[in-house]
Amino acid sequence: MRLDRVDRWLGPCLLVLAAVWLGLVYAYIPGARQPEEPGPRAFPILLGIVLLVLGGFMTLSAYFPSASRPSDETARATPRELYIVSATFGLLILYAYLLEKLGFVIATPIIVALAMAGILRMRNWIAITALAGGLTAICWMFFVWMLKAPLPRGLWLM
Amino acid sequence: MGLIFGSIPGLTFSMALALMVPFTFGMQTTPALGLLLGVYVGGMTGGSVSAILLGIPGTPSAAATVFDGHPMAQRGHAGVALGAAVIASTFGGLFSLLVMMLLLEQVAAIAIKFGPAEIFALVLFGLSTICGMAERSMLRGLVAGTLGLMLMIIGLDELDGIARLTFGTVQMQQGVNLLVAMIGLFAVPQIIGTFLDFGRVEPLKMLADVRARLPTFGQLKQRLWLMVRCSSIGTGIGAIPGTGGPIAAFLAYDHARRFDRQPQNYGKGELSGVVAPESANNAVTGGTMIPLLSLGIPGDPATAVILGGLLIHGLYPGPMLFRTHLEVIYALYVSIVLAYVVILVVQLWGIRIFVKVLSVPPHVLAVCIIVLCGLGSYAIRNSIFDVYLMAVMGLIGYILQRVRIPVAPIVLGLVLGETLEKQYRTALIMTEGDYAVFYTSGVALFFFGLTALTIGLQIFSSRRRRPA
Repeated sequence: MRLDRVDRWLGPCLLVLAAVWLGLVYAYIPGARQPEEPGPRAFPILLGIVLLVLGGFMTLSAYFPSASRPSDETARATPRELYIVSATFGLLILYAYLLEKLGFVIATPIIVALAMAGILRMRNWIAITALAGGLTAICWMFFVWMLKAPLPRGLWLM
Repeated sequence: MGLIFGSIPGLTFSMALALMVPFTFGMQTTPALGLLLGVYVGGMTGGSVSAILLGIPGTPSAAATVFDGHPMAQRGHAGVALGAAVIASTFGGLFSLLVMMLLLEQVAAIAIKFGPAEIFALVLFGLSTICGMAERSMLRGLVAGTLGLMLMIIGLDELDGIARLTFGTVQMQQGVNLLVAMIGLFAVPQIIGTFLDFGRVEPLKMLADVRARLPTFGQLKQRLWLMVRCSSIGTGIGAIPGTGGPIAAFLAYDHARRFDRQPQNYGKGELSGVVAPESANNAVTGGTMIPLLSLGIPGDPATAVILGGLLIHGLYPGPMLFRTHLEVIYALYVSIVLAYVVILVVQLWGIRIFVKVLSVPPHVLAVCIIVLCGLGSYAIRNSIFDVYLMAVMGLIGYILQRVRIPVAPIVLGLVLGETLEKQYRTALIMTEGDYAVFYTSGVALFFFGLTALTIGLQIFSSRRRRPA
């Protein structure tokens, strides 16, 4: 897909983002206490306006591309790519959840096994078990034993 | 200790320093100072290891090293990149030490004149490097930079103590941590890319026979003048309180790219792209000592911890320190030299072990990086919220990469944004809203001029690059 096609929806997305940002800034950040001083709202408003201008410029340049503009392309997302992106993101969110609830020692082997069996579709269970157990043990020894860094112990187990 | 903390994403050397300070209670002054400086120097140097090998900067100062260091590792030149990084780091550190010894008082006198307006102008100049990082589209680079600045806004406002866009949640008050954002933005898209390639693309042959080849003497000699220039940048930036390693590294990287005959090679594995930021961020170590020792002003969080260590031992930095405790100053010089020599030897020896990381199959390494991302994000502030944040930043990073918006300017916005806003507002609060503070200062005008020149040159060169 040509980049100017991407910009046709990316530009309006940025415009919406800028509008939402400005709305949130006005709604949630108070203005300056002294009129002559820039308060906590000044900089965020400026950034919202800058993004609005950039989004507008991107939208316009997508519909009226200049002849000298480089014609870069980007590939369309395939179903496999969508699966891997969503699975990886889901795995990271799950890791955060399990770290909090079950702690590092239980969460890590589960995540390693899920990554290898679920995303990479590996079926060598010896390798999966070895990596899951080995990685957990090495990280535990290094962080807790050597560096004395506290790792999550799990709310459900405490 | 510093080397280990610096090289592991999530564990900062400021943290290592804070952990070490209690151990210095029972020590004599000189060994205590040696321990703290060793951790500081080691941490600054160690950040490049994970930046080059894994594409995740170990410290914010190593963020600029990722751009060319990691592509070099992917091409099988990890040894050269690591070797060049450690040699450039040692050069930068020793160069700044020399400058500190010779020009301590003079540099301190100039640095102290930098008020909020001057620092604002300097940081704005730093932000102009976005234009250079924007690859082919300056518009996309500016969008990325603005998004980075917007992320920086979230959290507690330091000047007024007002929570900005936290929506009542306590975790959001701490804002978007720079390292958490960097782990997400740099590492997660890389993990996804590796998973996508698994089973579809043959593992690159070069990963199977990674060699610990060091940079040649010729390669380093060719970049000696660059190292001198970037070390000067680092020393100068370090001497200005409130700036620090990341700003120096980004400015040096941009300087190297701008003055190179082949700027198009940057971001693809150019050795100068490793040498420049590494010599600059380590030169900051000497630079930060200038205001610390001569004025008692710590330039960054790490030197603030060192200041604490000095105070514990009854040493009060300032002009009198040079009269009352001259032996401590000399011990400090010797400690820094020793720290750099030891780190040079340890890292050059360790390169052979470090590069073995790359002989691990990429998909296995990606699974290990998932765990490291989770642990690193958690360890920064012992916060599970940061692990969720890292995942979200990772998804954002991947989407932006797909629509060809570069992530480097986002990091730059996060690095520089806080200082930019704080100094801008402080300058106006101090002058009761008088904008003249920005154009009556010669130093500020100088940096504004440089910013305009940088942007102008970038627009000019991008127009020239386009086909007729």
